[in-house]
Amino acid sequence: MSAAPSSHQAALRLPSLDRAAVWIVLVVLLLLAGLASDAFFKLNYLTNLVRQAAPIGIAAVGVTFVMLLRGVDLSVGAVVSMSAVVCAIVMDGKPGNLWLGIAAAAACGAAIGAANGLLIAFGKVSAFILTLGMSIVVYGLVQMGTGGTARGIVSPGFREVLNGRIGGVLPVLVICLLVAVAIGIFLQSRTRFGRSVYLIGANPEAARLAGLPVNRITVIAYAVSGFFAGLGGLALLARTGVSGTNPGAGMEFDVLAAVVLGGTTFAGGRGGVGGTFAGVLVLFIALNLANVAGLPFAAQLTIKGLIIIAASAAHSWIGRRASGRTQQ
Amino acid sequence: MRKKLLTMMAATMVAGFATSASIAQDMDLTKKETYDQITTWANEPLDTSKYKKDGDLTIGVSAGYLSNAWINFTGQAIKYEASLHPEIKEVKITDAAFNPTKQAADIEDLLTSGVDAILFWPVDEKAILPVLKKAHDQGVVTINIGYNYMHDDAVTSNAYVNQWTYAEQVATNFAKSLDGKGKVVAMLPIAGSSAAVVQLAVLQEVLKGYPEMELISSEYGDWDRAKAKQLTENLLQRFPQIDGAFSPAGQMSMGIYEAFDEAGRLDELTLSPGDDYNGWTKLVAKEGKWGSVTSGLEVGREAVKQAVKILTGQPTTTAVVVPTRYLEPAEAAKLHEADRPDDWFKTDLPAEFLPQ
Amino acid sequence: MRPFAAGAPAYQRLPRIYWALIALVLAGTIAAPQFRTASNIANILEQSGTLAVLAIGQAFVIAGGMIDLSVGQLVGLITVLSCMLFEAYPSMTLPVVAGCLGLAALVGLLNGELINRLRMSPLILTFGMLSVLQGCIFMLTDRSIGQAAPSVAFLSNGRLAGIPVSLFLVAAVAIVAYYALQRSVFGWHLLAMGNSADSSRKAGLNLAALTRIAFLVSGLCAGVAGLLVAGRLGTGFPNAGNGLELDAIVAVVLGGTPLKGGRVSVVGILGAVLFLGVLNNLLNLLQVPAFTQIVVKGAIVILAILADRPGRLAQAA
Repeated sequence: MSAAPSSHQAALRLPSLDRAAVWIVLVVLLLLAGLASDAFFKLNYLTNLVRQAAPIGIAAVGVTFVMLLRGVDLSVGAVVSMSAVVCAIVMDGKPGNLWLGIAAAAACGAAIGAANGLLIAFGKVSAFILTLGMSIVVYGLVQMGTGGTARGIVSPGFREVLNGRIGGVLPVLVICLLVAVAIGIFLQSRTRFGRSVYLIGANPEAARLAGLPVNRITVIAYAVSGFFAGLGGLALLARTGVSGTNPGAGMEFDVLAAVVLGGTTFAGGRGGVGGTFAGVLVLFIALNLANVAGLPFAAQLTIKGLIIIAASAAHSWIGRRASGRTQQ
Repeated sequence: MRKKLLTMMAATMVAGFATSASIAQDMDLTKKETYDQITTWANEPLDTSKYKKDGDLTIGVSAGYLSNAWINFTGQAIKYEASLHPEIKEVKITDAAFNPTKQAADIEDLLTSGVDAILFWPVDEKAILPVLKKAHDQGVVTINIGYNYMHDDAVTSNAYVNQWTYAEQVATNFAKSLDGKGKVVAMLPIAGSSAAVVQLAVLQEVLKGYPEMELISSEYGDWDRAKAKQLTENLLQRFPQIDGAFSPAGQMSMGIYEAFDEAGRLDELTLSPGDDYNGWTKLVAKEGKWGSVTSGLEVGREAVKQAVKILTGQPTTTAVVVPTRYLEPAEAAKLHEADRPDDWFKTDLPAEFLPQ
Repeated sequence: MRPFAAGAPAYQRLPRIYWALIALVLAGTIAAPQFRTASNIANILEQSGTLAVLAIGQAFVIAGGMIDLSVGQLVGLITVLSCMLFEAYPSMTLPVVAGCLGLAALVGLLNGELINRLRMSPLILTFGMLSVLQGCIFMLTDRSIGQAAPSVAFLSNGRLAGIPVSLFLVAAVAIVAYYALQRSVFGWHLLAMGNSADSSRKAGLNLAALTRIAFLVSGLCAGVAGLLVAGRLGTGFPNAGNGLELDAIVAVVLGGTPLKGGRVSVVGILGAVLFLGVLNNLLNLLQVPAFTQIVVKGAIVILAILADRPGRLAQAA
């Protein structure tokens, strides 16, 4: 008996282990949290938790595509802020402008994303630095446009509907999050775009040689990321109302942590929206647990950082063992 | 491995030193006596003869940050007030965006471009002192604006809102509205800020006179409506009965209101008076209860007037204290502007001086 | 075989940033009368000291094809820690300085070790470390704390015959860095690793050691920068380091050192630092509105990165 069959079996097991890993962590974490405080076993508390996570979760769906492509989008925080502000301004308190406001916000997000994508694909520059620079530009533009005070008034009913609960139990925002995740999963597994993203992320050179339109896919991926960030901004607006010009500040850390936790690392080619969803849940439960356990806010920052490092290391270790390739 | 051990040892040693280090507090912000002392200082006359200048004046404004509505309105008020004084030729404004190193550079640049006075609100009071000393040494008048009184040679004057009386007005009216009974929570600003420290101290002081009231939790909402809402949601889960919420900042009160509303527990809630934040006054107008204490927005204009007085050698006091007033709900409701956004304040500023 | 054209004389290879700097200075002299006063120039030099040291440290890491995003928060940590210790132990200034620099170097070393052991991309590792360090700062304090020692304050703010004292420190750091990166065997090896990690490994270079040293230097420079900031502010402000890592990277890239590594120019970095200092100064002197300044800053980041194109590496021998 040669070693080939067993290593073949191992290679089959490890990717599924990779995908399952974050769900296993989620269940374990939930049990641990329940031990710390039985509030975690109450449906109301959990649904509220997921509702709080909705803006980040929706934005993370979009960022997943970019990271599958070996890129990164650090402008999500600024885009979320911008979309919330734009939506409120367009709505201007009038019920007739409701859908116009929503469309404007999504369009702005997609436009910024496309700009990112164009510069990264055709400029061949570092996505990290570029999206960071873009986030500064977007933030500055929002400040300039509003004169520093949050403008706009939300259409009546917007906040009430989105913050309501169906049957008194299931928050509407949670449904929005699930819909976004479903769209994301559909995009990644049933469209040519999604399949191309995986192929390009796994091996860009081979994809290029095989004739895949790498540049076009890159632009679309970043536009998707911007689009979902725009939707995330709407979710944030629903939760917080019009109360500042930078409500999305710092969100990119949470989004990145969630995506990486879910199995989509900077190495690209592996992971997906399903994992990202689980990653968002894990992140929020962990942070909430830290809060309940009385840890100071500072500890949350450290935890986020450690999560990013540990999750990346773990996933890439699994990835290396599965495919036998060395890192870098 | 050895290196990791060394790092950990170093970190523990440092942490050990750090926790034993004493922190020098210049003023104890939790005692009423401090504020009485400040008022005494403020009322002393100021010798303005050495600052007198002839000719046109240039005013520099070093904003520590411009990213919230109250501060924005203060900045606009400064520009407006300056336009009312023909002696003031120019107003130069810089924004440090919460970066104290940039604020130091901003003030240096203002000095380079030639100003007679620098009005400022610091990112951090201690971090700004070295560069303020430079300004003072060059004979430039420095005026601190806001809720913190800076008592230092490098600061010529303060335009100040007395936080203790402000918080006292909120707390006493709050206790009255609850008939002196009930379990309350406190929603405070950024942890460690002087506002948070003094508001908590005042609340605890006032509650001593109401033994049937109990403070069950203090939260730090960072003047952020969304954060206040999130923290309140967590509180609602933890406590089955919350009778009142102490929240002088109207912006945060709105977050609290929304959380109670979405939990269906609005009937339990009595909110403390808020401030003159438009979103809050709209709420007061709608609900017909819960008043306001004015937040002292005129402080920017007072700072400019003080600067002019000093620079033209007129007699004045060491500091200008802007009073705050409690407004009954009916009066507070008058402050709201329905067609303006929530993130707004009602002022007398003419249209061209409003933000953007 | 040399992986880069080291033999060309310096003036022929004056980094492009100097042309931009000269243009900016000329424009400034015309547009703002107070710009070219001696005190203003001294101000600019003094304000640029922190970034210069930080960017030089970052250059070591970037030259090797890596990146260090944790330096901003490391600066903040050192600022806070040093001020706390200075205040608690006023007579032990020198040991505190040594201790803080040592800690900074250790953190850098830790970064390098983790990258080696966990075989992680430096980007993610240092990105996560950024959060970890920020959390450490806030576990120490949430508001400004401590008091900088007078000697450190003098270092950052003092003048000798009108010349900022910090300038001498920056010059010393720059000279050491120049020789280390561009005139030593270590520098050649580091650049070779930046050029092609695989070829370097096959050629027998010790990549793990090079990584360690590069990150140690980056951490050490962050420590020096942290002390400079402490002196400048006089107190330990926890957010003092926010965003500094991006500034440092932009300065390195603007100075002509490609993000992919393989080439480095200390002179270029100094030029870029000066450029940014002059730009900020002019934006203030010319009363450019605050929010517009933010957009300008972001645009500079984007332009800097766009100007750093792979095509320029074709100079390799």
